Amino acid sequence: MKLSKKTITNILAPLVTFLLLFGFWEWAVSHYQLPKWLLPAPSGIIQSMVVNFNDFWPHILITFETVLIGFLIAVPVGILLATLITSNKIISAALSPFVIFLVTTPLVTLIPIMMLFMGFGQKVRIIGVVIQAFSIVNMNTVTGILNVPIIRHELMQTMGSNKFQSLRHMIYPTAIVDIFTGVRLSAIFATTACISAEYVAGNHGLGSQIIKYSQFLKTTESFACIFYVTIIGLFMYGFVAFLQKKVIYWKI
Amino acid sequence: MEVQKDARISAIDIAKHFGDKASGTLTPVLDGVSMNIQEGEFVVILGPSGCGKSTFLKILGGILPASSGKILIDGTDYGTQVPRELLKRFGFVFQNNNLLQWRTAAGNLKFMLETMRLKGEAWQGRVSEMLEVVGLQDYQDVYPHELSGGMRQRVGIARALVHDPDVLIMDQPMGALDAITRQMLTFELLDIWHKTQKTIIMVTNNVNEAIILGNRVFIFSQLPAKILQEIPIDIPFEERNHQVFSSPRFLELREKLNHHVRATLSLEEPA
Repeated sequence: MKLSKKTITNILAPLVTFLLLFGFWEWAVSHYQLPKWLLPAPSGIIQSMVVNFNDFWPHILITFETVLIGFLIAVPVGILLATLITSNKIISAALSPFVIFLVTTPLVTLIPIMMLFMGFGQKVRIIGVVIQAFSIVNMNTVTGILNVPIIRHELMQTMGSNKFQSLRHMIYPTAIVDIFTGVRLSAIFATTACISAEYVAGNHGLGSQIIKYSQFLKTTESFACIFYVTIIGLFMYGFVAFLQKKVIYWKI
Repeated sequence: MEVQKDARISAIDIAKHFGDKASGTLTPVLDGVSMNIQEGEFVVILGPSGCGKSTFLKILGGILPASSGKILIDGTDYGTQVPRELLKRFGFVFQNNNLLQWRTAAGNLKFMLETMRLKGEAWQGRVSEMLEVVGLQDYQDVYPHELSGGMRQRVGIARALVHDPDVLIMDQPMGALDAITRQMLTFELLDIWHKTQKTIIMVTNNVNEAIILGNRVFIFSQLPAKILQEIPIDIPFEERNHQVFSSPRFLELREKLNHHVRATLSLEEPA
């Protein structure tokens, strides 16, 4: 495979930045002889990621599961709700303020109350992820649907199409770019929401481990967990980017 | 105005306003517009921009109801709104092609057939047939973004023809094109009209286009739009080619139309 100049730049430039950043970090830690509990060196963190993998693995799995299940519920719920909101003025007036309410209320404040009803289980955290992630899909889908040009609606009208045909064949494809913006953001929000929920609730998942390790000043392990969270976040982002490429096969 | 018995479409005293009196947003757009359109005729509506020409087309084609007046199709009175069942008898061409960019040229035509539930080989055959009419038989599987502006608009015309409508309604079909493409497509459109024998109603703001294409030109006034002039274009079809621009009759008509168009603009007194 021959790589174009642009691809090489796109891979090389961030890689060099990454190496420089970590190199500086490594150098600073040893040069200023920072204690491990304050700031561990990247090499130590990566070593911990490998050595303690067996301890981390169940938590990685549970965090990943919570993020993925929450995300997979949030996306269809968000799109469906956006469809309802944009199709009817009364539904829009009735529901829109509550979507905004859910977006603006920090999730962490809701988790302890939700725990009163549902305990410490994974269910609470999944619901937390859904609340945080669906609203952003919803808002972007609403924008996308409202941005469909009038001329497109007129086209469907001239064909005598019904509401369902319009949605499936015209409105969703036209709004797909905005919808995907929401989905991509919600993939990020899902990871953030999951970690915040784990901070507060129970002792499962990477979030709870980060709290646990830092309480014992095991900063290296704490960082190792943070790096795994980053990897989950990157995976989610990449997953959506891949999906977007597959779904939007035409040029906009 | 009287209804002509043999007219394909008659619009009688069509008025349209948006908004309502109670909230003080009443905007009259059309004021007593009447015309009779014969089968196979090419009618051009010419007028300043924002004068309600497009609104009139939408009422004729059943997208919008009129506020008052009546529309007759083949002698049947449908009142202020052309019913949905009759939409199949119209083909719409939009100003900016309005193609679905996730479908190929042929896919856009098929979409029309699918949505209108026109199934069977005969209809499928019309897809390539109509693309051939607009000269794009070699571009069936090409996506809109790979086509030039003029080609996209030709796909738009083919799409409007694929379900075999009686009437083509064109809302400034060449408004978004550059001058050279525009002139080329004008002659192609003339050719398409000749080949398909459809009744065409077109809105434009270009005087040359109106003369080359039209059998009759209606000049609309500023808002609320009325018909100011109806001018028959008596240049025979055979003479409507690239040489027409220098023919004395063309120049005469152009001067006449320009004069009337200028008159519509001067009606607008500064406030």
